[in-house]
Amino acid sequence: MSMELQFQNTQVNSELQHEITQFLYHEAYLLDHHMYQEWHDLLTDDIIYRMPLRVTTERRDGSNIVDDMTYFEETKKSLETRVKRLYTNSAWVEDPRTRQRHYITNIMVKPGANSDEYNVRSYFYFKRSRASEHQLEEIIGEREDIIRKVDGQWKIAARTIIPDQAVLTVMNLSMFL
Amino acid sequence: MLVKDSVNKQTLQKLKEKLDKGLMPQWAVTDKDIYELERRQIFGKTWQFLGHESELKEPGSYVTRWIASDPVLLVKTNSGEIKAYLNSCTHRGAHLCTADFGKKKTFTCPYHGWSFNLEGELVGVVSGKKVYGEKMIKDEWGLRPIPKVGMYQGLIFASLDHQAMPLEDYLGDMKWYLDILLGRSDGGMEVRGVPQRWTAQANWKMTQENFASDPYHVQTNHRSTVELGISPNDPNFASYGHQIVLGNGHGLSIMTSATGKSPYKYQTLPESMWPMFERNLSPEQNEIFSNATVFVGGMFPNLAFDSPVHGMEGEMCNYLNLRVWRPLGPDKVEIWCWFLIDKAAPEEYKEEAYKAYVGSFGPSGTLEQDDTEVWARIIQVSDALMMEDKELSYNNVNNYLLGEDVFEPVENFPGPGVAYPSTYTDNLARSIQKRWFELISKGLLDEEEDSQ
Repeated sequence: MSMELQFQNTQVNSELQHEITQFLYHEAYLLDHHMYQEWHDLLTDDIIYRMPLRVTTERRDGSNIVDDMTYFEETKKSLETRVKRLYTNSAWVEDPRTRQRHYITNIMVKPGANSDEYNVRSYFYFKRSRASEHQLEEIIGEREDIIRKVDGQWKIAARTIIPDQAVLTVMNLSMFL
Repeated sequence: MLVKDSVNKQTLQKLKEKLDKGLMPQWAVTDKDIYELERRQIFGKTWQFLGHESELKEPGSYVTRWIASDPVLLVKTNSGEIKAYLNSCTHRGAHLCTADFGKKKTFTCPYHGWSFNLEGELVGVVSGKKVYGEKMIKDEWGLRPIPKVGMYQGLIFASLDHQAMPLEDYLGDMKWYLDILLGRSDGGMEVRGVPQRWTAQANWKMTQENFASDPYHVQTNHRSTVELGISPNDPNFASYGHQIVLGNGHGLSIMTSATGKSPYKYQTLPESMWPMFERNLSPEQNEIFSNATVFVGGMFPNLAFDSPVHGMEGEMCNYLNLRVWRPLGPDKVEIWCWFLIDKAAPEEYKEEAYKAYVGSFGPSGTLEQDDTEVWARIIQVSDALMMEDKELSYNNVNNYLLGEDVFEPVENFPGPGVAYPSTYTDNLARSIQKRWFELISKGLLDEEEDSQ
């Protein structure tokens, strides 16, 4: 069954919906406040973190998402390298720091494959201000997550980020989405 | 003093005098009149990279590309030939195909329904006889072919210039190095997926220079990756080896290590592949390839390549990254970034190499992120009035004197071209600028001679 249909068929209670929504807001807060180490702690050890490419295709040619090429193809360890980089003294792209906002909306939660897991879909709207530039950069899209409860804490066990732009209009992806 | 008013013969003459001294007036980087000259005299004349043959798998496969502002439809015909057309309907000029890629027998314009086959022929006109009568000769309304199309080692190029020299002559001695990068393995290289695309605040000349000829920036700009162990652990690693100046504004750096040999034989490619390399390449090419850590360079004007050794999780891998800096103006580029790997490499290796690429290059690359920051910093200030009036040691001519009087070309380098014994030299940058200037000034500086 497609994920879309499953979402329609399955409801979770509002308390759980609220808890997971708050968890994703908390995650966005950590990212927007440069607390990358704390953000990394929210990921399970087996996390798969990916960002496939959006492309423009004719409908007859099927999906407009190319899974074979990605902007992120990460494990917990490779994400640790990326996080550590942001704490070095030579990650120039974030020093001076950019100012970022992750707006997370349209959160839909449904039970996952295991009893402690939920499949969570959300939309994101990312805006960034760099130096004295007047124009803000932006990127929009959706995320498909697996959120897992580990020792009483919510963690992100998988994330697929799907951008809506076939040509990204951010000058780099120094952020996590 | 070099004061710029508009791009006339006098300004060009002064620009030339500066370039000859290893100085580049900064106003010329983002000047709008210069950009217009570049668009017509460089992008309208040179061979431009469109894609790799592995992107067009079967008859009917197509991709859409751009040569600066010219839309290109690149197709594989029924006979397996690769053809390129202006991606614009011949009826009212609409952009014919807006998909990035796909497979088709005919391309139909959504405006009035004219359709074209893979040979570019007009094969369908809606209500043709009724509205055009018998007079219309369909043969006259086919898609406009891009004047020249050529291929070398699977790389597909095209030129808007009917008079363009043959592709192989254009590439010249670069072919010898492309043979190493693309012709070493049986079956050649293959593109994975599609190119990554994004826009950056940058001038195409500076991004090309950054990749093609400037390993000097690696030590500072990419220091974070040395600290993290993604790049070789010697902070000077990018300086060891040779910079090789080829003709026509092409060239590359071949990095090794302090010993002159890479710690990674054949760039970490599996030992099972080495006999194949020895068979497919000459002894001289093998000598260079087996001892290299990084090949990084460019083909004039805006195609750059990088074949490094990197790894995000400790395991080091090699891959080939090709990139086109498509200019969208003097201060903006659309970057097209391809990942290629040897078709003959083990699947597991291909996968690791791909992860190493995503970790290092492309918009999220731990190396490339910091490049985008400095590209933006150059164009943000280049419009300043004081950029128009700058002398050596007052700063608004840019310094291209690195390595001058320090390095002499080496004798007996195994490959073609003029090889310098360090990559920290501006010899290649200056030869790119020389070619750039020849093309933008063509017919302007030698006006009087032409009219005689």
